[in-house]
Amino acid sequence: MEDKGLFKEFIKGIYKENPITALFLGLCPALAVTTSLINGLGMGLAATFVLLFSNIIVSSVKGIVPRKIRIPIYIVIIATFVTIVELIMAGFIPSLFRALGIYVPLIVVNCIILGRAEAFASKNSLGKSTIDALGMGVGFTIVLVFLGAVREILGDGKLLGHYLFGPEFEPVLLMILPPGAFILIGLILGTINWIEIRKNQKIFLKFKEKKLITTENPE
Amino acid sequence: MKDIIKLSLILGIFCTAAAFSLAGVNKITRPRIEMERKRVIKEALEHVLPAAKIITENKTIDEKTYYLGYATEDTTQSPKGFSFIAYGQGYSSRIQTMVGVNNKGTIEAIEILFQQETPGLGAKATETRPGEDTPWFQKQFAGKFADDIKVDKDGGEIVSITGATITSRAVANSIQKGIKWLSDYVKFEKEKTITE
Repeated sequence: MEDKGLFKEFIKGIYKENPITALFLGLCPALAVTTSLINGLGMGLAATFVLLFSNIIVSSVKGIVPRKIRIPIYIVIIATFVTIVELIMAGFIPSLFRALGIYVPLIVVNCIILGRAEAFASKNSLGKSTIDALGMGVGFTIVLVFLGAVREILGDGKLLGHYLFGPEFEPVLLMILPPGAFILIGLILGTINWIEIRKNQKIFLKFKEKKLITTENPE
Repeated sequence: MKDIIKLSLILGIFCTAAAFSLAGVNKITRPRIEMERKRVIKEALEHVLPAAKIITENKTIDEKTYYLGYATEDTTQSPKGFSFIAYGQGYSSRIQTMVGVNNKGTIEAIEILFQQETPGLGAKATETRPGEDTPWFQKQFAGKFADDIKVDKDGGEIVSITGATITSRAVANSIQKGIKWLSDYVKFEKEKTITE
C-alpha cells in the first residue's frame, strides 16, 4: 500500500504535475540555458540534485520551523546548499565544475526548489518528500533535454556538439535566442492542452453514452 | 514582543548553522581551489608564451601582477614576452583572460581563464569548433596590435560572436586596456611608426 503511494508521488512529476508544463515553475532557467541538449541535461541533473537534498532537509526540520518565518529559512537552506555544492565541485571535481559552471549558481533562482519545499516537503514525510523531489527532478530534466535538443538542432545545426547537416544548412538563429525558447515552450504547452482537451472530450462522450450526464457542455 | 524574539532567535539559529556549514566547507575546499587556480594560471602562461623557457612574476606598485617570459634561463637578458590577466565585465560575469604579448607589442596568444556568460551565446568564447584545437574567437587575437583590438562594431578587427556583442566587447576591450596598462611598465620595441 505504501509502495503504491510512493510510486504515485514519483510518477506525478513526469507528466500530470510536471514542474514546467503543469506547475509552470522553473521556466526562467529552463528557457535560458537550453541552448543545447547537453546544457539542458546538465541543468536538469544539477537542479535535481539540489532539489533532492533541499526537500530532505526541509522535511527533516519541518517540526521546528515556525510558519511565519518559513520562507526566509527555506531560502537560507537552499542558497547555503547550492553554495556548498558549488564549493565541493570546484574543489574536488574541477573539470565537472567548469563544464556545468554557470548552472550551479543558477539553481538558487529555480522556483521549483522553493516551490516544492513550501508546497510539499514542509507538509509531508521524509520518504514522500524524497520521492517527490526525484519525480519532479526527472520531469524537469526531461523537458529541459527536449527543449535543448530541439533548439540545438534547429538553431545551431548540431546535436550533442556534432554537426548534423552539411555546411549549406543555415540554422534558425532565433531558436537559440530567447524568442525561440518562448515560441517552443508555447507550442509544447499548446500541444499538451490540446491533448488534455481531447482526453476530456472523450471521457465526456463516454459518460454521455452511458447516460451518466445529460448536459451538452463538456465542463 | 515575545513572539518576535522567538522568531528572530530561530531564524538566527538557522543562519548561524548555515554560516558554520559554509565556513566549514570553505575551509576544506579553499586550498584545493587555490591549487587549481595556480595550475590553470601556469598552464595558461605556458600556452600564451610558448617560446619562453622561464617565466617570472612581477608586481606593480598597486599590487597588480604581470609576468615576464625569457627565452633562456638567463633572466638578465631582456624578456622576449610578457603576460598579464585582463579582467572585463561581460554580460553575466567578470571574464578573466590570460594575455601573452611579445616584446614588439603584438599578441602571441590569449586564453580565457574564467567566464560565466550565457551558454550558447557569450559562452561560445571558450568553445572549440570540431576539428580545430583552439576556440576561434580567441585564436583571432594572435598577431594583433592594441589599436586593432576592438570588435568590428566598434571599428576594430575583432569578429564578435553572433548574438553576443557584450561578451565579445568585454573581452576585446579588457585586453586592449590591459596592453595599454602593461606598456606603462614594460618597453615594447615598436615596429609600427606613427608615419605609417
